[in-house]
Amino acid sequence: MTLLFLQSLTAILFLTIIFLHLTKRNFSASVAYGIQSMMVVFFFFNSFLETPNTYLILVIIFTIIVKVILAPLFFIRLIKKHALAFNVSTYLNVPLTIIIMASLTFLAHLEKFNPLTNIVPAYHQLLSLALASIFLSLFLIVNRKGALSQIIGVLSLENSIVTFIIFAGLEKSPGMQIGVIFNILIWIMISTIFISLLYRHFGSLNVTDMKNLTD
Amino acid sequence: MQLLAIIIIFVVATAISSLVKSRSVIEGLAVAATGFSLLLASHIAYTVSVSGPYAPWSFFQIDALSAIVILIIGSISFAVTVYSVAYLRQETKKGIVGFTRVKQYFMLSNLFTVAMFLAISANSPIFAWISIEATTLSTAFLISFYNKPSAMEAAWKYLIINSVGLLLGFFGTLLYFTALGSDSGTDFVSWQLLLDNSDQLDPLLAKIAFIFILIGYGTKVGLAPMHTWKPDAYSKAPAPMGALLAGALLPVAFVIILKFKIITDASVGANFSQQLLIVFGLLSITLAALVMFNARNYKRMLAYSSIENAGIMALGFGFGGIGIFATILHLIYHSITKVILFLTAGNMLLKFSSDKINKVSGTLSIVPLSSALLIIGFLIITGTPPFGIFLTKMQILLAGMQTYPVVSGLALLFMGIIFISFLKHITAMVFGDSEADIKPGEDGLWLLIPPTVFLGIIIYLSFTLPPFLKTLITEATNIY
Repeated sequence: MTLLFLQSLTAILFLTIIFLHLTKRNFSASVAYGIQSMMVVFFFFNSFLETPNTYLILVIIFTIIVKVILAPLFFIRLIKKHALAFNVSTYLNVPLTIIIMASLTFLAHLEKFNPLTNIVPAYHQLLSLALASIFLSLFLIVNRKGALSQIIGVLSLENSIVTFIIFAGLEKSPGMQIGVIFNILIWIMISTIFISLLYRHFGSLNVTDMKNLTD
Repeated sequence: MQLLAIIIIFVVATAISSLVKSRSVIEGLAVAATGFSLLLASHIAYTVSVSGPYAPWSFFQIDALSAIVILIIGSISFAVTVYSVAYLRQETKKGIVGFTRVKQYFMLSNLFTVAMFLAISANSPIFAWISIEATTLSTAFLISFYNKPSAMEAAWKYLIINSVGLLLGFFGTLLYFTALGSDSGTDFVSWQLLLDNSDQLDPLLAKIAFIFILIGYGTKVGLAPMHTWKPDAYSKAPAPMGALLAGALLPVAFVIILKFKIITDASVGANFSQQLLIVFGLLSITLAALVMFNARNYKRMLAYSSIENAGIMALGFGFGGIGIFATILHLIYHSITKVILFLTAGNMLLKFSSDKINKVSGTLSIVPLSSALLIIGFLIITGTPPFGIFLTKMQILLAGMQTYPVVSGLALLFMGIIFISFLKHITAMVFGDSEADIKPGEDGLWLLIPPTVFLGIIIYLSFTLPPFLKTLITEATNIY
């Protein structure tokens, strides 16, 4: 894959995070996560083309099954089950959210982060964008009041980190990747169970409704 | 071989527990599994003390400090399981939990224990990360065990904060892999491989990686300011789980930080990691001191004590020198004492049906033995002489006095405040007026035996160290 093509795919991944910040619909957020995960699949495929390790095919298959298909399906089923068409709002309003997102993106491109973004000098731009995605995903987790959005934020953070390590050439072992993906699968299952339990107890997924730990 | 046996025992015990419908069988399996694992863990620790690092396969590597922690996990999980059988029977009698919950409890605690064994013995940082993540997943449902809104909230907070922390830890872990280059020709990255290649690590990148590691695994340890999940989780989880979280999981996560510390030190020198540990350590002690004085819940108070002691350990490794031997000893003492305190807190909870300090008073006349354990536990954990923690705290502070006198002085001041806070709350609980409608008497012998045995152990270890343990601590001091 050409550098330009990879840049376009990374830009799509980055844009899905911005979309996750701005969308009001849980369904769209779930689909956006699926699209984001598909970008990660492309990055793994590029890695496979560069270093023809056949085990990477397994990683690609696992990623598609877990992140592109199962995770969004889990979320969509949850949305239908509890009629959660709209997600709860953010702590900060939209203009302020956009300003902080822009600042974080700018921060990731600063020279201060060159030790991170120059691990593979040829991929400097890609690594900067992946680092910005990490920052924006962290911000997504803290800025959203919805439990489902927080879950998607954590998964988006994981996708951003995986993207970073692929471009930095640090994905040492496919076995390790499969172990991590298996972990993510269990995490998704457990967190979706928790979402149902939270909804049963609090009648909403707004984490600001949780005020029982006041000590 | 012993390690594989431990894993198999827990997996088999969990699998059988999921199939059977007899409570006694499930309880028996859990006790047997933890009992056998304690024997095997003791054998591993002894082997390491005699023959050096134990590495049955390339996937596992147990050095001296890991051997100590394995012994801690083995003994605490056994004591907690024995106690849990009696504790949950009392809760069932009171109509708090039913068979399904009990079954879930023992299955999850089995998985939690095996995940800790795997994390501490893993020869690969990624495998260790996966195992630590597994501890989060297995304990989330134990924290929400009572299925109350507050428990759900605590579990959710625990899940999200720890998951984010561990993802940052994962990122930090992978940054260390830059030392290996793209053509290292190996799929399996061991701790030793990273250490051997530490000179290839970009110093600036090594620093960034260690910051991520400290934030990531520091979240699991409960170092301030990543500690926020800890008081909630400890107070909402069943009391025996608090003992396992504070006594066993904390050292596991701490040792993983130390394994990265020696790689970082080899790349950039010890100063950087030591200063970071000192900052986080002092912050943790300060925060615990400021919050504990106004604590209203005794399980939360124990959680803050755990944050304080994590801070002391961070300070000890930060100061280095003679402080390291004392810190490893402190780690052992803290784990043992936390078992006494959490199990005694469980006895109080059973008797008074409340974890609020103002709802528990006059315990000495109602549950005298548990009260005695609570008082002695408090004296030990706050560093009162002649118990071992007094000496370890003093040695750690003395180590710091030479290079960081202000930090040591502040730490001593805050430890003093913590002692006063603890004293205030414990005296209110133990010596206040007792409730007339609470029937005096302990709830059962098996609720007293595990904390009493641990009290015996800590008193013994305060005055003498068995040769094999001394060898392990000395070896660990040389490595870390």
